[in-house]
Amino acid sequence: MAYLSMGEAHRRITEYLNRFSDAVSYQNGVSFKSLFALSSNSHFLLSLSDALALYNDANRLINQNQNYSHFSDIILPLFRSLQHYKQGNFVEAYNAFEKTANAFVQEFRNWESAWALEALFVIVYEIRVLAEKADRQLASNGKSPEKLKGAGSLLMKVFGILAGKGAKRVGALYVTCQLFKIYFKLGTVHLCRSVIRSIETARIFDFEEFPKRDKVTYMYYTGRLEVFNENFPSADSKLSYALKHCNPQHEANIRMILKYLIPVKLSIGILPNHRLLEKYNLLEYGNIVQALKRGDPRLLRCALQDHEDWFLRSGVYLVLEKVELQVYQRLVKKIYIIQKQKDPSKAHQVKLEVIVKALKWLEIDMDVDEVECIMAILIYKNLVKGYFAHKSKVAVLSKQDPFPKLNGKPVNS
Amino acid sequence: MANEGTNTETLPPIESHLFENRLVDASQHQTSSYAPTTSGSEALSWTVQSSTGNGIYSNPTYQYDQHSQPPVRSVQDGQGVSSVAGNSSNLGTANVPQDYNAYTSYASSSNQYSYDSAGYSGYYNNYQQQPNRAYSQPVGAYQNTGAPYQPISSFQNTGSYAGSASYSSTYYNPADYQTTGGYQNSTTYGNQAPAWNNGSYSSYSSHPYTSYAPDSNSSYSSGAAATSVQYQQQYKQWADYYSQTEVSCAPGTENLSVTSSSTLGCPVPTTTSGYVTPNNQPPQSYPQFWSQESSAPAAPSFQPAAGNSGDHDGYWKHGAQISSQIHQTNPIQPNYQSHLDLNSSYDKFQDQQKTLSSQGTNLYYLPPPPPPPPQQVNPTPLQSAASLDTKRVSKLQIPTNPRIASNLTYEQPKTEKDSSTSSVTLKPAYIAVSLTKPTEKVSSNDAANSILKPSMFPKSLRGYVERALARCKDEKQMTACQAVLKEMITKATADGTICTRNWDMEPLFPMPDADAVNKDSSLSSTLDSVLPKCKKSPRRSKSRWEPLPEEKPVDHPVSISNDTIKYNSWVPNEKDRKVVVENKESKEDNWRNTKFSPLLQRISSKAPQRPFKKQRLADASVAHENGNASSDSDKEQSLTAYYSAAMAFSDTPDERRRRENRSKRFDLGQAQRTENNHSRKKNVGARNLYNRRSSALVLSKSFDDGVSKAVEDIDWDALTVKGTCQEIEKRYLRLTSAPDPTTVRPEEVLEKALLMVQNSQRNYLYKCDQLKSIRQDLTVQRIHNQLTVKVYETHARLALEVGDLPEYNQCQSQLKTLYAEGIEGSYMEFAAYNLLCVIMHSNNYRDLLSSMARLSNEAKNDEAVKHALAVRAAVTSGNYVAFFRLYKAAPNLNTCLMDLYVEKMRYKAVTCMCRSYRPTVPVSYVSQVLGFSNEATDGKEAAALEECLEWLKAHGASIIADNSGDMLLDTKISSSSLFVPEPDDAVAHGDANLDVNDFLAKAPL
Repeated sequence: MAYLSMGEAHRRITEYLNRFSDAVSYQNGVSFKSLFALSSNSHFLLSLSDALALYNDANRLINQNQNYSHFSDIILPLFRSLQHYKQGNFVEAYNAFEKTANAFVQEFRNWESAWALEALFVIVYEIRVLAEKADRQLASNGKSPEKLKGAGSLLMKVFGILAGKGAKRVGALYVTCQLFKIYFKLGTVHLCRSVIRSIETARIFDFEEFPKRDKVTYMYYTGRLEVFNENFPSADSKLSYALKHCNPQHEANIRMILKYLIPVKLSIGILPNHRLLEKYNLLEYGNIVQALKRGDPRLLRCALQDHEDWFLRSGVYLVLEKVELQVYQRLVKKIYIIQKQKDPSKAHQVKLEVIVKALKWLEIDMDVDEVECIMAILIYKNLVKGYFAHKSKVAVLSKQDPFPKLNGKPVNS
Repeated sequence: MANEGTNTETLPPIESHLFENRLVDASQHQTSSYAPTTSGSEALSWTVQSSTGNGIYSNPTYQYDQHSQPPVRSVQDGQGVSSVAGNSSNLGTANVPQDYNAYTSYASSSNQYSYDSAGYSGYYNNYQQQPNRAYSQPVGAYQNTGAPYQPISSFQNTGSYAGSASYSSTYYNPADYQTTGGYQNSTTYGNQAPAWNNGSYSSYSSHPYTSYAPDSNSSYSSGAAATSVQYQQQYKQWADYYSQTEVSCAPGTENLSVTSSSTLGCPVPTTTSGYVTPNNQPPQSYPQFWSQESSAPAAPSFQPAAGNSGDHDGYWKHGAQISSQIHQTNPIQPNYQSHLDLNSSYDKFQDQQKTLSSQGTNLYYLPPPPPPPPQQVNPTPLQSAASLDTKRVSKLQIPTNPRIASNLTYEQPKTEKDSSTSSVTLKPAYIAVSLTKPTEKVSSNDAANSILKPSMFPKSLRGYVERALARCKDEKQMTACQAVLKEMITKATADGTICTRNWDMEPLFPMPDADAVNKDSSLSSTLDSVLPKCKKSPRRSKSRWEPLPEEKPVDHPVSISNDTIKYNSWVPNEKDRKVVVENKESKEDNWRNTKFSPLLQRISSKAPQRPFKKQRLADASVAHENGNASSDSDKEQSLTAYYSAAMAFSDTPDERRRRENRSKRFDLGQAQRTENNHSRKKNVGARNLYNRRSSALVLSKSFDDGVSKAVEDIDWDALTVKGTCQEIEKRYLRLTSAPDPTTVRPEEVLEKALLMVQNSQRNYLYKCDQLKSIRQDLTVQRIHNQLTVKVYETHARLALEVGDLPEYNQCQSQLKTLYAEGIEGSYMEFAAYNLLCVIMHSNNYRDLLSSMARLSNEAKNDEAVKHALAVRAAVTSGNYVAFFRLYKAAPNLNTCLMDLYVEKMRYKAVTCMCRSYRPTVPVSYVSQVLGFSNEATDGKEAAALEECLEWLKAHGASIIADNSGDMLLDTKISSSSLFVPEPDDAVAHGDANLDVNDFLAKAPL
């Protein structure tokens, strides 16, 4: 770092303070928000932190001028946070920034218009990012990471301020999304429910009026929640909404959406094009799609096993596992088609031993009882139309549409 | 500090006497001046009780009471202050002066007073919550009291008094008194205390309260009336309480070696009995006592109906004023007295409460009593009290001085309000209630008397009562008769026939069953004996963090006087002894203070059961005290009291309450810290540790309330209990307070206990109980090692075997953290259980995912875990064949967990089969596939088939037989008729293990 004179340091600090008070007095949201973007690594803030390191009486400087002294609750901890951040001390940086955020929220509450919404967004974002960093630091030091949790409750407070009526409400969804991120990270997904309820029940404000980016994020997270709840149709619609409105430039975001949308679609009988998987690097699903196409239970098992960790972590494992019945359906259908080619008149009678033999070829070790059970389940779940005659060990298929398609409905009885 | 206020042992007896006398005087002043009729009544009741309990003692007490009642007291007080020693000798002299002297002497027996105070403090602690509730109502009552009170004072002035004075002197046994010195005093004191208890209590138990209620109403005005019903109950409670306290005291005191203690213990029973008998009946001693009692207010001659002294009349008048019960005879008096007693007790309670509320008040008494206050003028006494307080405060040097100061100021106004009408006017809340009464008050004593006097009970009624009582052969009958009479008179009063009825013609009621009455009394006595035990817990504070109630008086800081110690032991809430110690003085003071507003207290005592809010609304000034009620501990209360005192003048109750709450948060921390310091100095040995721990716990609690310090800063290691109990077997009892090391088993013993449980042949309930107590001891001692794991594993397995899922879940969650700490155990086994549990019972998608994701590769290769995963797959796919195969091959206790899912799985399977199969399925197949029969065991095939058949039928399946006689399941018909039957052994609470009958039958406990 180049040598920094005391005067220069003083000048930088004063400049910051001036920008701050100007932004407030002119209600300049854009310039205002840049003053809080801690993690943006802007040159302005970096040089300010240098200046602060040198000039350690910023307090006096702030209180000197009435323009800033009013905001000393915001600025002082912010300066401290900036310094800690610069030094890589994220825990302290977070603690200080939390104070800033609290003071800012107090101030924000008093501003009639929503001009500072952008700044609030920045603060909300910074809080979350800082908390994550601080938690990582805490965890590496063997302490219990709790900052993100704290950030969660702080954001909840912010949400409470925004969620009312008026112009500020537009910002509620952004905070909601940040909250989602925190909750998903913490694994406290159940906390999302209250936020969602207040978003969805307040009809005063049309959902479509929220900024698009927030809508997409919101739909993505709520879609994921629906996956957890095994509510596939609703998950499908939400994730599809997210996919449709997501900025096509943001491939990473699209990939995240697809990561959940594909299993959901699979479970309702819709298979993706292989190129889609390639484009978004979701080849983990490749073999599963393949197994579904071929009616190959073995391939499905292998695919699930190969990427078990990945599937488990992303939470789609159980969804994919349920695809197994569709694979069996496909297998029986294949047998049925082959029989039909041989002898159309007897095609609708599928002998159990044939299926057992087929499974043997696939190196799946199942005895007659188990296969019979599978057949019973297939019929029960309406993947196969017909009935099973226990005496003769024959599955008698319906002559019309023996293998009904799911057509966007989940497998069920 | 404690020494100053109380009769500490260390102090030279004389000094203590002086102190106490002063204190007593002050208190008496207050009481007399403040408590109108009630004070008088209280005094009476006391005396009566005491007299009954111990003949000799009672007399002194009697005098004392009298003194206290009239304005004379103030004079007496002055005298007493000036010459304490002289007073004792003076006893025989002029009436008023004598009274004073007697009084003073009495006072000089500082022990008594101190003792009282101590006792009160103890009571106080116990009662805190209840009293608070009561408050609102009292206000009205209080004002009312003002009027009656005056008459009493007038009484004393009257000539009749002289007799009493002389009486007192005789009773006094000055010689004994002097010789015994402080010691005797203490004994007398003890008597008094019991007397109180007895009075309130005995009257309570023996006499139906209904009678009481009217009286109270009449005398006390509307406010009292409203509460009257509740009163009774509370009364009982109080009485019990008192009795309890007394009982409990007895042992402690004995141990302490203080003679007073022994006396204390005795008086209770005696008093009760004596009390009952008193009326008219044979017991020689009795008449006198009785007369004393009755006369207490007025003249000893009272016994004969005709002989009612003016004082007496006046007294009655008070009562009668409203109710027009005027004509009650002696028998009635008992009731009255009881009322009074009750009142007094209540007052005391209130006093205690007050004291609790404000430590400052406690401080009051140290300084010598102020110059004799004007007779009846309440305000002056109050002021004196206030001054006392201030002085005391200064002496005490309590760390919290600033607050105290505020309290002091506060209290003065408050007391004034209570005591004097003028003061009453000061507080808005009071004013409203008092409006009606103030006039009474204003009216001179004479006026009040004149109005009331004429009424009295008709002579005929007195005669009637005498006749009725004359039949009684023993005390029991006497009591019974009294009860009946009371009822009659109350009734008559209520319907206004008391004067109109021809009592001479009235047939005597049939002799009541004395035993029945006795039962009551005995009941109450038994209650008393039983209660002490219970007491500790009942008022327990809500938080677990509060220290245990002290059970061993011996441990108390040396500086504390014996009395206080004893009381402490009783105090249930008692977070810290220290507090008690500090409060003792204050409590004493409080007592006295309470006297000021006897009615108030009464009401308050009644109120406990009422909702807070009402009360608050009723009286704003009271409200702050009520606010305290919610707080668990004495400390809290006292602290809040501080604050409330400081804010006494704030306008709205709400505001005040809010402020209190706010201030409470901070006070707690500070006060306790200071207290901690004290305790450290005083505590010895084990007590030390204990106190520290408890205080730390309290501290932590207060911190939690929002004060700055972090919990991490507390040195938990230093506070951990080290058990000393050597019993291997121990029943589980959920801790309601901090653990007592003597009941906690150390690790070695716990190991043995675990072995014992493992090898025990007894049933699950017993084992569960034992294991829970082991777990508790482990937790309390913060033992986290392999033993802990073993215990939890053992318990979890046992629970699984019996299907006790809730218990299993507790163990499982503990095991999770224990394994996470790296302690060895059957990790895999329990991982499998956990998986199974999630799959079968919570069925939560996310839980399942996360527990699956958490499994290490190593775990996934474990047989048990593999099995669990396979079960999961079978369940999610609905593969019943696989499920029942796994069911049969389950390792460990996996079967037990699967057991709980079998029924569900079978039902699902059958529905599936009925849907898929046509036209039939052989039952034998179903039985085989659904795990009814084991393929290997041919012999049991038939039985399994039968079982399966039963099951199918129970679930609504339609069964047909084919040509060869094989049973077939008709799937088409069954598919629409299947249902899940209600389980036969279902119990309402869902856990058959908890069935009451089952529990009672099996429990070895």
